[in-house]
Amino acid sequence: MSQDRTHSVPAPLAALVAWLVPGAGYLLIGQRARGLTVGITILALFVMGLLIGGLRVVDPPDSYRQPLQAVYQRPWFVGQILVGPLTLVAASQARAVPYSHARVWEIGVLYTAVAGMLNLLAIIDTAYRAAHGAGGET
Amino acid sequence: MMMWLLGQTQPQPYELLRSPLPVWDYWYLLALPLCLGISIVYKSIRCDTMRRVPREALVLCVFILVVMGLAAGALAALVQVLAG
Repeated sequence: MSQDRTHSVPAPLAALVAWLVPGAGYLLIGQRARGLTVGITILALFVMGLLIGGLRVVDPPDSYRQPLQAVYQRPWFVGQILVGPLTLVAASQARAVPYSHARVWEIGVLYTAVAGMLNLLAIIDTAYRAAHGAGGET
Repeated sequence: MMMWLLGQTQPQPYELLRSPLPVWDYWYLLALPLCLGISIVYKSIRCDTMRRVPREALVLCVFILVVMGLAAGALAALVQVLAG
């Protein structure tokens, strides 16, 4: 593992970058090994979910005008969207894919949602490290 | 009616990213990479140094799998007791 330098980055910016590309927030604050490990693992889980269940595992709500109703309608999408814009790309392509009721499809949903929730942990940790200058040692 | 519907259901050929992966008989093995991924990310966040991550992630992964196995065994035994 390499010793990386600490970069001074505002915490909100680090959190935003961590959401846009999983693991990139750590890279921004100078933690290359941690960023690559977290990013590759989260993206691998998300892509594996798509491969296991098909694109339709990403299932956005029909409308966002009533946020609570949207969350009630598609609770797993809350976890999935935490992976970043990649989820929106997958959702846009998923409209043409038929639904499945297979158990494997449920496992695909689980993979993608868990990937998003793990990225939420990474986003929070990135923002904390950026705010407290805990970057550098990887 | 139900039997007729079941008779009409044919397994669809697998299409990448369009249909679920045809792993109907050993779907439970998919828990392994999920647990490993959770362990790696969690320990990458928690550990001060990345040198400790591989070993601690492996230990956590095995721990999760063992506890899940024990929970599954206990629930299966409970079902057997309640059913019998």
